[in-house]
Amino acid sequence: MSIRIETIRECLEGVIPGLIATSDADGVPNMAYLSQVQYVDNDHVALTYQFFNTTRRNILVNPTARLMLTSPLTGAVYRLTLRYLRTETAGPLFEQMRAKLAGIASHTGMNGVFKLLGSDVYRILDIEQVPGPTLAPPLPPVNYLTALRRAAARVAACDHLQTLLDNALDSLGSEFGIRHVMLLMYDEAGQRLYTLASRGYPESGVGSEIPVGAGVIGICARERTAIRIGYMTSEYAYGRAVRANVAAAGLADALETAIPLPGLPEARSQLAVPVTAFERLIGVLYVESTADLHFGYDDEDALVAFAAQLGLAIHHHQHSAEAEDEGAGSEPGPGAPAGRPVTVRHITGCESVFLDDDYLIKGVAGAILWALVRDYAERGKTGFSNKELRVDPRIRLPGVSDNLEARLVLLQRRLDERAAGLALVKTGRGRFALQVERPLQLVAG
Amino acid sequence: MLDDDNADFIQTGVAISLASSAPGQPPNCTRALGCRLTAGGQVVLFLPAAQAAGVLADIRQNHRVAAVFALPSSHRTVQLKGEDARVLPFDPADHAIVARHLETFVAELAHLGIPEAIIRTVYGCPGSDLVAVAFTPCAAFSQTPGPRAGQPLGAAP
Repeated sequence: MSIRIETIRECLEGVIPGLIATSDADGVPNMAYLSQVQYVDNDHVALTYQFFNTTRRNILVNPTARLMLTSPLTGAVYRLTLRYLRTETAGPLFEQMRAKLAGIASHTGMNGVFKLLGSDVYRILDIEQVPGPTLAPPLPPVNYLTALRRAAARVAACDHLQTLLDNALDSLGSEFGIRHVMLLMYDEAGQRLYTLASRGYPESGVGSEIPVGAGVIGICARERTAIRIGYMTSEYAYGRAVRANVAAAGLADALETAIPLPGLPEARSQLAVPVTAFERLIGVLYVESTADLHFGYDDEDALVAFAAQLGLAIHHHQHSAEAEDEGAGSEPGPGAPAGRPVTVRHITGCESVFLDDDYLIKGVAGAILWALVRDYAERGKTGFSNKELRVDPRIRLPGVSDNLEARLVLLQRRLDERAAGLALVKTGRGRFALQVERPLQLVAG
Repeated sequence: MLDDDNADFIQTGVAISLASSAPGQPPNCTRALGCRLTAGGQVVLFLPAAQAAGVLADIRQNHRVAAVFALPSSHRTVQLKGEDARVLPFDPADHAIVARHLETFVAELAHLGIPEAIIRTVYGCPGSDLVAVAFTPCAAFSQTPGPRAGQPLGAAP
């Protein structure tokens, strides 16, 4: 029986470069090194088309090729018989390979030389192991199925979005050993992603933004596919991507840059997987490491499966928060506001809110906060529901996919991080209270 | 066909691979464990016979080969074509070449992060299993990645 490609994917990462043998119309053989082999599914792999070279000419006239791959873990050598099918020049597969190639080019000093023109898709006709000695494989760093099972169970046991986010990110650390994680939510109207939770950074970066299409995270969102890079490359560095976007954007639509995106300055391995539910993009789960080739195909598979669970759970909590309005819960009753007043300044248009001249939040979350403090100042109101926010004309939610619950979590976390005497406290499903510990001075500007 | 520089290059610690092709069959390929140039300009490669069975069968049928020599640290890559390849018994006198090739290749890859045990597993071969393939290069190309990839060796820059 032929070997299944998904059981030998460590051979595809280019640690020991693969070789491709082809032949021309006259039967003259040719051989070339491969910078990467991309797993597509159990019947297909894709190779990079970078130059119109002999290999390219040959497969167009003589589509059967042989690949020689070597496991960097065991030294086992595999021979694959392939048949060229087609070339893709855009889309998820192309972007996956382009990102990976950028990392490889940077790592091997081939920046500007390696450039992806297309993804050549081949059908796998046969895989055989070449006779020869092998070493015992090293133990894997983690049992992915066990980790996934345990992480999925923790996600399933959460009763609202806040605890879901905490459990999801914590379990990536405890079950998978992943120390640097961000969860970004998709803002469809603004075509950007905003950080809602993170682990492993000095600053949480909650509220920071990245445009769709920028860097590993933005391309993952745009293509709805996992993007994985094994080596450091400035081409996909998010800092650069954000700066470039800000430079190009008009002031009114400028990205949030007052809050820096968290992230490792020396990230070598990056993996972003889309979080979706019912074919809608909810956000992006992003992990990174300072080690080369830290994340492999198994990490990618595990995170994609985990993100599927997470997406459904987020979707559920966003909707149940409004569907099951429990009525006013027991609101915590803090004492009367005391101490030095805090100035809440709101800027119409971008909906930015500043607390004592320090930027807090903008956009939908900014509009929500401004509505809450106005209701508090004018009517002494402290209890609110998601339902009333949704119909509040002052907030102008962008539509059904507005991620209202996520924006409330964002606002709550920004207020908690600022610790300026203002807080949002959940009082029941779909209900929350504004806690005001210091007198408020509202300034509309 | 090969100047002194390229002649030296293919006989040092480079990765060597050999491809063959027979009509109606998928091409074949295998690794080689060392290279010697004869006084007459023939390239002699040393192959592990069990791994190279398909290549050896093709060569016996049509004598066509493509050999690739690559230095991982610099990406310098040379491809030689041959139309007169023959399978020869391994000459025990060439053991020293195979042994030296392995040591220089291990040293070459040591700073690229590939474990030495893996290199020795992939490129080690019991002496009894070795076989030689000799051919006269009829074409030589640079395959170093970049704008000149695919040009004949010695072509004007």
